Amino acid sequence: MTATPALSLPVSIRGLSKTYRVGFFLNKHVKALQGLDLEIAPGQVYGLLGPNGAGKSTTIKILMGLVRASEGQALLFGEPPDRPHVRRQVGFLPENPSLYEYLTGREFVTLAGRIFGMSGHDLDQRVERVLGEVGMGKASDLQIRRYSKGMVQRTALAQALISGPRLLVLDEPTSGLDPLGRRQMRDLILAERKKGTTILFCTHIISDVESLCDRVVVLVGGRRVQEGSVQELVSAKAPSVEMVVHGLPLEQLQSLGFTYEQAQQLDSRVLLRVPDAESHSLLQAVINKGGRVSRVQPARFSLEDLFLDAMKQAGDQMVGGEIQ
Amino acid sequence: MSAFIAMAWNGFREARRNRVTVLVGAFALLLLFATTLVTEVTVSTFDRVVTDFGLGVMSLLLVFLSIYLSSGLISREIERRTIFLMVSKPMSRTRFLLARLAGNMLTLGVLLLAMTLLFWVELVLHRSPITQPQLAALWGLYLELFVLTCAGFLMSTFASQLVSALVTTGLYFAGHLCSDIYNLGVKSKVELVQWVSKATYYSLPNLERLNFRPRATYAIDVTAAELGTATLYALGWGVFFCVLASIVFERRDFR
Repeated sequence: MTATPALSLPVSIRGLSKTYRVGFFLNKHVKALQGLDLEIAPGQVYGLLGPNGAGKSTTIKILMGLVRASEGQALLFGEPPDRPHVRRQVGFLPENPSLYEYLTGREFVTLAGRIFGMSGHDLDQRVERVLGEVGMGKASDLQIRRYSKGMVQRTALAQALISGPRLLVLDEPTSGLDPLGRRQMRDLILAERKKGTTILFCTHIISDVESLCDRVVVLVGGRRVQEGSVQELVSAKAPSVEMVVHGLPLEQLQSLGFTYEQAQQLDSRVLLRVPDAESHSLLQAVINKGGRVSRVQPARFSLEDLFLDAMKQAGDQMVGGEIQ
Repeated sequence: MSAFIAMAWNGFREARRNRVTVLVGAFALLLLFATTLVTEVTVSTFDRVVTDFGLGVMSLLLVFLSIYLSSGLISREIERRTIFLMVSKPMSRTRFLLARLAGNMLTLGVLLLAMTLLFWVELVLHRSPITQPQLAALWGLYLELFVLTCAGFLMSTFASQLVSALVTTGLYFAGHLCSDIYNLGVKSKVELVQWVSKATYYSLPNLERLNFRPRATYAIDVTAAELGTATLYALGWGVFFCVLASIVFERRDFR
């Protein structure tokens, strides 16, 4: 790669694969990632979405130099991720972060700043600012062993922000947090987005992706199954229509031969979801059979539906990677 | 303050906050007890017995501590996943490893210094002399701690704390016995025993080369050449262990 780092993409991944050797004799191979391609443009909030064992954390760990790729290439700002000057531009929050418990929050963030090459008054000011930003200003002089999970998570985010990174890599930043903690974490991510920081963010919580991400890649079994902007992915799906029918039993409706995406008896009513193309014919058929339609409305296709579709499509693959 | 110094200082701070300094108190109590006892039971060998006991207890406590600290430092970081936040920072893995080693050696150095001061105070109070062989023995002890720490570090880059501690403890005993093992082989008529004893002797650090405590007890001077050779010997083994540790650590995946 000869591109100037400043002009290069924050994240560029080509044909990335990772096979772990497991078992007592290391003779079993688990394919955690298989030929992943990915590009993240500056300023984007990019979501890695997938079930447990989809390869999300492996991708992030390769980018952060924690795991070596078996094949392919992962670049940060156009350069291999293990270069110190590249890492200086990256802040990382791992899943369930573990900090040095004998330090106070302030000491830990200061230590992180020193490793980033900061010192003196600038470092003190920066530590004060990031601890304030994550809402840890008051509790920062307590030892980390006394912190709640949410406080640990926020302190870990503070250490990721200490160097003013151009790229922020967050692995499951909201997992294990209570609703208030999740909300605060989402607000912090949004604040970073406003500053123009590129954010790579991995989760299996779909609502977080919908509310935060510009683009999403869905991984299943170590493979990319969908990629695009949230809007693109949701609207690319053929629209469907929801209908509430009275006066006809579910069995009779099912015998009409339509393709129902959903058919559910609700007391005396039946809730149906059909592709938009079939909705007119179904309406006609219900009226012809003596039924009554009380509601017809376009169904909102969510990222969750997309995610479940992707899971179904990739159903022949093992969750957690393929074991050979 | 560079990243290296920050990490090394953090290692010292970790040990301090985990109350390893309690060992200095334990040493003080043992020394006090021993000198009280020794003044009761000795007539003319007080200096010799106190030196032997003081250096011996110092060695025992610090060797135990160095094995405990070095065997757990990297493996605990891996088990607790604190390593994720450190290895992903702009500092090479080898530098991180060396900084942790430096922090450990700083901790052991400070404790050795504190114990030495207590030991000297005890000697001065009993009007016993502070001798050159005592200084040599203390330097030898620090070198021994360095070799053991490096060995513990190497183990802890790929094994659990328990396994690392067991192997390093084994190395400590084997290292002190390897001359005897060699001599045993020389006297044996079985070729296999000769071969194994020689292989053992050459593949393990001979920690007796760093042990000047018997000479301190009998106040036999240690020459500068002997100290220099011992220093180079310990550095050689330390560097060897560190290079191996670095190779292992650089290739590891942190899942």
